[in-house]
Amino acid sequence: MALTEDMIQLLSAGVAHQVGGCTNAGRPVVCRGMAAQHEAGRLLVIISSESGFEVLEAIRQNGNIAVNVTLPENYRSVSFIGNDAVVRGSGAAWRPLVNERHEAFRQQLIRYGIPPGYTNAWYSAADEQLVAIRFTPMLARNQTPGPGAGEALALKPIEFEK
Amino acid sequence: MSAVFDDGLSLIGVRRMMEGVIPPVLCTFSKDRIPNVSYLSLCEYVDPLHIALSYQFFNRSRENVLATRRAALTMDDPYTGGGVALQIEYQRTETEGPVFERLRAKLMGVASHHGMDKVFHLRGADIYRVLEMRRVPGRKELTAAQPRVDLPTNSRLLSERMANCEDLSDLLETFLDGLAHQLRIDHVMLWLTNPAQQTLTLLASRGYEVDGAGAEISVGEGLVGTAVREGVPIRVGHMMNMATYARAARDRADESGVTRTLQSEIPLPGLKEPRSQLAVPLRARGKVLGALFVESLHDQYFGYDDEDALMMLSGQLAVAMSLMQPQEHEVPAPVAAKPPAAAQAGPALRLKRFVRDNSVFLDDVYLIRGVAGAILWKLVGEFVRSGRREFTNRELRLAPELRLPDVQDNLEVRLLLLQRRLGEQQSAIRLEKAGRGKMRLCIDRPVNMESSES
Repeated sequence: MALTEDMIQLLSAGVAHQVGGCTNAGRPVVCRGMAAQHEAGRLLVIISSESGFEVLEAIRQNGNIAVNVTLPENYRSVSFIGNDAVVRGSGAAWRPLVNERHEAFRQQLIRYGIPPGYTNAWYSAADEQLVAIRFTPMLARNQTPGPGAGEALALKPIEFEK
Repeated sequence: MSAVFDDGLSLIGVRRMMEGVIPPVLCTFSKDRIPNVSYLSLCEYVDPLHIALSYQFFNRSRENVLATRRAALTMDDPYTGGGVALQIEYQRTETEGPVFERLRAKLMGVASHHGMDKVFHLRGADIYRVLEMRRVPGRKELTAAQPRVDLPTNSRLLSERMANCEDLSDLLETFLDGLAHQLRIDHVMLWLTNPAQQTLTLLASRGYEVDGAGAEISVGEGLVGTAVREGVPIRVGHMMNMATYARAARDRADESGVTRTLQSEIPLPGLKEPRSQLAVPLRARGKVLGALFVESLHDQYFGYDDEDALMMLSGQLAVAMSLMQPQEHEVPAPVAAKPPAAAQAGPALRLKRFVRDNSVFLDDVYLIRGVAGAILWKLVGEFVRSGRREFTNRELRLAPELRLPDVQDNLEVRLLLLQRRLGEQQSAIRLEKAGRGKMRLCIDRPVNMESSES
């Protein structure tokens, strides 16, 4: 299934990313993500291989993944779930996307009094540590706080090129 | 199985990461290993090996935890950007007891502050055992800011000064001055409980445009009212963050905002845009006598250490307040009636009382109500009837018409509140100390008294 237009817009609005997985042995793992974007029905997520080493290992084991994106200005929060995640591609090619998403996120947090330098701690990975994960969302859930959190959100069918 | 912590890490050492400035993240999974990631509203330290997470809604996370009992939790340091990753195991859900009450009070305090009482309902405190805690690797951490004061040393200094106070007025001044000078807390309110009315009356404040002595709120209202009702401290360190979180939940629930339950005639002091607030109950002899409320224009101004320090100092203040009543053998006999010493001139002052709640108005301006209102009515009545100007605390305590709840209601505190209100109004009536356990009523104008049953 593919993301709806408002979900795609949310990805570039300055969201915080959290990426979760679970090993075959039943160890849940989670790390911060640094960028996400929609790519022809699939979701691309960039994480650091250093802080996210356990998440990468869990994904390599079974392909199961949960990615949460939350916009600080209104706490709008959506989770995307997949079971075909693959770790593919790393390096400086992802830096422009990471920088763009970091800047949007930083602008979100400034209005809450969090200094611009603060988020550097979360985005300090070197180019060679930027790793891409791709998966097809099979489910999206609303995670905005309050009653109804956890409810499924509609995705749209993937449109293949003719 | 013993817990595995990275060197130098302890749960108590990462309490500030549980504040919610940067919301903690919970990762659970279903039996078929499908993960779910969500943010938490509250995380609470329980003991060196356990934490409690708030259970408000039955959602995917909870369903997963009940099925697999395991979760991962990450928390970020609000000062340095560093973080820790925990492996936790669900133990049980508590629906009563101190941990539940602490979580509920925090949740309700925050919820009440943002008009979210009906949405933020705590169903339980989920207790987790911490199996593992490690630093999140690869973070370029900032240097943590230095604490604004040496809290332990300065708290001890203030405690010693309070211990040297001989009367209530001196004690309150010392306490409020000490908060400003020793602890650099510039905005303070001191509230008293009125158990019979389930209300709180503002005894004194510092650092506001209006003093507000005598203003009232209901027990359970806002941070102060909730701290008193639950008997635990409540701290909000990042108002903007919580406001946004609460607004999101309110939008989801389509709830309307709350209105103040008491429309006080006296304007409440308060910062227009506070960034940090802390309410601490004043506890003595197993009862909550009131609350200390402090706030700041800065984010994260009050941490756990402030909470610890203010709990200790407020406890000392509460015990001292409840003890600062003259013992019976120290109290002199009632003072004999005397004619008025000073001439009364000018138009008659209209003193009106409403019997229902003992609210008293001076020339149609609200002054005070409750026990303090009843005291003023009795004193002025005696003065008008007999010309008496001096009274003892003891005779007031024994006066059946005042119906003082018990000795812990603390007559001295009510008198001090009345004295402050009269002084603030700059009225023709004043109340002065006339020695230990005695007071003097000063009235500059003739008085017409009027009582209404309605």
